[in-house]
Amino acid sequence: MYLLMCRWILLCCFFCALNGYAQTGTYKPVADAAAFKEQFAKASQATQSIQADFVQEKELSMLSDKIVSKGKFWFRKENKVRMEYQQPSYYLMIMNGREIITRDGQKQNKVSARGNKLFEQINRITVDCVQGNVLNNPDFTSKVLENAQYYRLELTPVSKALQQYFKAIQLLVDKKDYSVSQIIMQENGGDNTSISFLHKQLNVPVADAVFTAK
Amino acid sequence: MEGGDAGCIQQFRPQFSNTLYSTQVDILNHHLSGLLFFKQMPDSSLRVVFTNEMGFKFFDFEFTKDSGFVKHYMMPRMDKKPVVKALQKDFELVLMRANFQQASLLRDSQYRYVAVPMPKGNNYYITDTACTRLERMEKSSRRKPVVKAWMYSYREGVPDTIRIEHQNFKFNISLQRVEK
Repeated sequence: MYLLMCRWILLCCFFCALNGYAQTGTYKPVADAAAFKEQFAKASQATQSIQADFVQEKELSMLSDKIVSKGKFWFRKENKVRMEYQQPSYYLMIMNGREIITRDGQKQNKVSARGNKLFEQINRITVDCVQGNVLNNPDFTSKVLENAQYYRLELTPVSKALQQYFKAIQLLVDKKDYSVSQIIMQENGGDNTSISFLHKQLNVPVADAVFTAK
Repeated sequence: MEGGDAGCIQQFRPQFSNTLYSTQVDILNHHLSGLLFFKQMPDSSLRVVFTNEMGFKFFDFEFTKDSGFVKHYMMPRMDKKPVVKALQKDFELVLMRANFQQASLLRDSQYRYVAVPMPKGNNYYITDTACTRLERMEKSSRRKPVVKAWMYSYREGVPDTIRIEHQNFKFNISLQRVEK
């Protein structure tokens, strides 16, 4: 259960996504990882809200094919997230504090995180991600690389349970504002899911209504 | 037995090449939604992959050219033999990849029934008497239907809507085609 949830969490870390994996040269280890962590945490703390478009690509390696989904993403401190998929079908996921609401074409589900360990954990990872603490998460070992344009955080799950679902997770962090431009979740079977964040707007006002399902 | 006539049912066999469905699954008290992807592979096998909207993979199955079945992936939490078996049989019913040579034909005043023998019971394909419209499909045990399924609104050999309902417990699968 915990593992499953972690998988979700990673998915939920999308607020950090990026675009253009390895498009600006090869990555090498950062010279000063501690300084990076500090900057990343500082920038995350200064981020009150994020509004962006996203493109999700699910790569099915054995089928030589991929499924592309698109939608809109909102985040607001401390712990509010809305992901609204518009293509190829409608799907809504809202995290508002301890509450998680999902809605597909047919049905709305409301899940209270209170008393539900899985969702509590998702919540924590999500907030960690936004607040730049994800590097301190004991569920993962991390490595930080960089090229001219991006920092690349390589997160490797520690527990067997998580390893069942993920080989590794990569976050691409834009050097110019320390925002996450892309999240790539690598599965053991060779498939992966990437979420790229486009047209990011930081610290624009985001209304309360965005985080309700009405 | 009018074995030749059973062949008319083949016109309703879905011609999946690279087809995506928005999908809802209701099983007991759980509701799952996501995207179901059918892909015809170069070796004539058919892959069926189900993920949730966020890319989390539930399963990846292969239906081989010679009516075989391969489970490439099943999410550990759902990886139980009866669950995999039920899904395999449900898809076999609607994919219509079984051998129709063995099929037999029955009629009543309203419908034609093409019965395809399976290891336990039959798969029935029920049409109007002229075999112009697929009314429904049924998977039966030796005594009664255990699964009913429908495929509607074909475009270029592919149904826009597929619905599968188990009769003995709540397990329903509903697919609506979407543009990939």
